[in-house]
Amino acid sequence: MTGVVAALVVVVLLLSVLVAGLLRSHATILRRLHELGADHHPDPGVPVPDRAVPRTDGRIPSPRSDLPDGRPAVDVAGTGPGGEAIGVRVVDVAHDTVLVFLSSGCSVCTGFWAELADPRLPDGTRLVVVTRGPKEESPSAVRELAPPGVTVIMSTPAWQDLAVPGSPFVTLVDGPSGRIVGEGTAASWNQVRDLYLRAEGDAPTGGKAGADRRRERELDRLLLASGLAPGDHSLYAPADGEDAGRDGPIR
Amino acid sequence: MLLSAHGVSFTIPAGWEGEISQERGPQALALAERGAHLRPVAHAATFALPAERGAFGSGAVEAMRDDDVFLALVEYDRGATDTALFARRGLPRRLDPRRFHPAALQRTLPGQAGHQEFFTDTGRAFCLYVVLGDADDAHLQVRRVEEVLAGIRIGSGP
Repeated sequence: MTGVVAALVVVVLLLSVLVAGLLRSHATILRRLHELGADHHPDPGVPVPDRAVPRTDGRIPSPRSDLPDGRPAVDVAGTGPGGEAIGVRVVDVAHDTVLVFLSSGCSVCTGFWAELADPRLPDGTRLVVVTRGPKEESPSAVRELAPPGVTVIMSTPAWQDLAVPGSPFVTLVDGPSGRIVGEGTAASWNQVRDLYLRAEGDAPTGGKAGADRRRERELDRLLLASGLAPGDHSLYAPADGEDAGRDGPIR
Repeated sequence: MLLSAHGVSFTIPAGWEGEISQERGPQALALAERGAHLRPVAHAATFALPAERGAFGSGAVEAMRDDDVFLALVEYDRGATDTALFARRGLPRRLDPRRFHPAALQRTLPGQAGHQEFFTDTGRAFCLYVVLGDADDAHLQVRRVEEVLAGIRIGSGP
């Protein structure tokens, strides 16, 4: 009996050492994860960044945290269907650009060409149609399909630089950052626009949200140029009725 | 960004975009049907150029903000090189900000100022037309225009 008890005590002691070792190992792992910034429960009161930003050891600058996700876009240069030389600035501009990659031969593109005559994009968003270059597309066919009032550029390098897989394909570029914030395809332009308009509500930059932000900045600039600084009393006009009678009632 | 067509080439600096084409307005097309040649027109701007616009920027200058600049280079008939209007030789690379004036605008818009220079280069007659978005900032904006002018090359023609 004594032998059995002694054996159990030894087993319990061994298990206790094993559990203690596991707890110590677990604590070490958690500490390392904490040092790497992988907290599941950040301290309350500590500001949480909007998006994960790679950390550096301090010897090189950290990446900008205000850039939207997405790979960099490039400016588009090529020829127009009428033989024009065209260069369109897409990167580092105030407006967003929707690049619609189409061809004259694809059946799905036919609907796009027609629908783009009335693209109904948000203010502050530019539409540019890009086909492959004149060696791969017929300029006269593109000229016939080109919707009036829409910039059309024939440029195979643009397809290659922006890794366009085929037509139709749509790429949305956030102008200020020069990043591609949305891309894909659909059966019709209206579907693309619906997807785009829905996505832009989720995105912190670009699209309608970006346009709204730019309009706000422009209004701020105009107000400041007019001598109206934040807090100016003229920005806080009395509510309706309080000042009634100053200029007489309007009847 | 290098653009080249119709015997004109532009090296477009950062912050600018451009197009070199032929005038395709109704009047120009009607004349072309009677044998006249379509005039080469080059545009450069610091803003998004609309697809449809006039040779001297109508339809585009309305979209300019205060800090924007528009430049047009419009070719005239070869016969015009002998006239007094085009007596100046060579594309002007430097411009005098004091010569920009709202009265020189093809389309008068508040705050803007314009300037025209007629010249002959490589046996071709041209008009250089520049619109500044802010007449009060002419000195700075003209320097930006000169960056584009430095990158324009005019050949003997198409």
